[in-house]
Amino acid sequence: MDSKSTSYETAINVSETESTKQKSSTAAPAATIVATTKAIPHNQKGGWRRGVGIFDFILRLCALVAALAAATTMGTTDETLPLFTQFFQFQASYDDLPAFSYFVVANAIASAYLVLSLPFSIVCIVRPHLVGAKLLLLILDTVMVAFTTAAAAAAAAIVYLAHNGNSTTQWLAICQQFGDFCQLVSGAVVASFIAAFIFILLVVFSAVALRRH
Amino acid sequence: MKAGALELGHASKVTSSVPKSGVNRGMSILDLFIRIIAIIATLGSAIAMGTTNETLPFFTQSIRFRAKYNDLPTFTFFVVANAIVSAYLILSLGLSIFHIMRSRAQASRIALIFFDAAMLALLTAGASAAAAIVYLAHKGNTKANWFPICQQFDSFCHRTSGSLVGSFAGVILIILLVLLSSIALSRR
Repeated sequence: MDSKSTSYETAINVSETESTKQKSSTAAPAATIVATTKAIPHNQKGGWRRGVGIFDFILRLCALVAALAAATTMGTTDETLPLFTQFFQFQASYDDLPAFSYFVVANAIASAYLVLSLPFSIVCIVRPHLVGAKLLLLILDTVMVAFTTAAAAAAAAIVYLAHNGNSTTQWLAICQQFGDFCQLVSGAVVASFIAAFIFILLVVFSAVALRRH
Repeated sequence: MKAGALELGHASKVTSSVPKSGVNRGMSILDLFIRIIAIIATLGSAIAMGTTNETLPFFTQSIRFRAKYNDLPTFTFFVVANAIVSAYLILSLGLSIFHIMRSRAQASRIALIFFDAAMLALLTAGASAAAAIVYLAHKGNTKANWFPICQQFDSFCHRTSGSLVGSFAGVILIILLVLLSSIALSRR
């Protein structure tokens, strides 16, 4: 047996038979048909894809951690000021702003999707030649990129407004009162952007693993 | 017998490879078509948002009487993001035409998927940030004492809401583009 590190070819000589009608369709006027088969050792080709699959699995775990952290950080914000003024409410929670509610829901959905896609990722590691599962994961990952980025950007817009206010529309910057609330919310937005970036990496890796040779 | 089976196998491979490349070519043409529609959508959104300029006839003490898109930094980001994405889409038309001619190109398709995914993220970020601000402008927020400005600036609100539609259509179209590229990649 040859060494496992190189691929080897076998040449099969087949003599020409009576059915020459096939010749016109193939346009290969050879007297003998030489069929070469490249027998690639299974573990070598599978090894490269397996590495990509394992990296994909690790990235999924990181994205799960990021999305879960973003959802829980935003979902548990609840700050009550000790003082009370005429113009401001003295309590700030994430469901006072609809963009933040959408943020919590979207990151929860992204975390649930990542948990459900972990078995598919394991299947892709164990069986590297399965194309359908990879394609499904790539499509759903693309949709999740858009979903997570939308949630993170909407919350980021509100957080920017809360930090800086706006003079044209007379919207006051509420971060000056609610300092802790603002910090937690900003941290959650950053975690969600990290999750969105990892989703983009997952799409690229799935595309790289999809190509045939 | 064995030779016949081999020839039969070879012949069947020839007849099945023609529709496969035909489907790939069809998908590349569809890709080009969707790209052109996405260019129109994002460019329209950028222009619609960028040309907002409403001046109220009266003047009150508490609210300014003029609203433009660059009074809100989020809308500025929206216009810039849409402009960048439409410029990228115009530049990628060339690569898409190349894929129609050469259906078997793999590295360029992977590069296209990567850039499409990055531009998808940028476009979605711009569109959803502007959507959050537009929602705030329509409804206001009682807890933060943010007043809904749409009651004064009516046509400004209409224009910005309308330009969001084109941008979100562009998002869906770019998702379709990534889908098509990945299917064409896996069907080689």
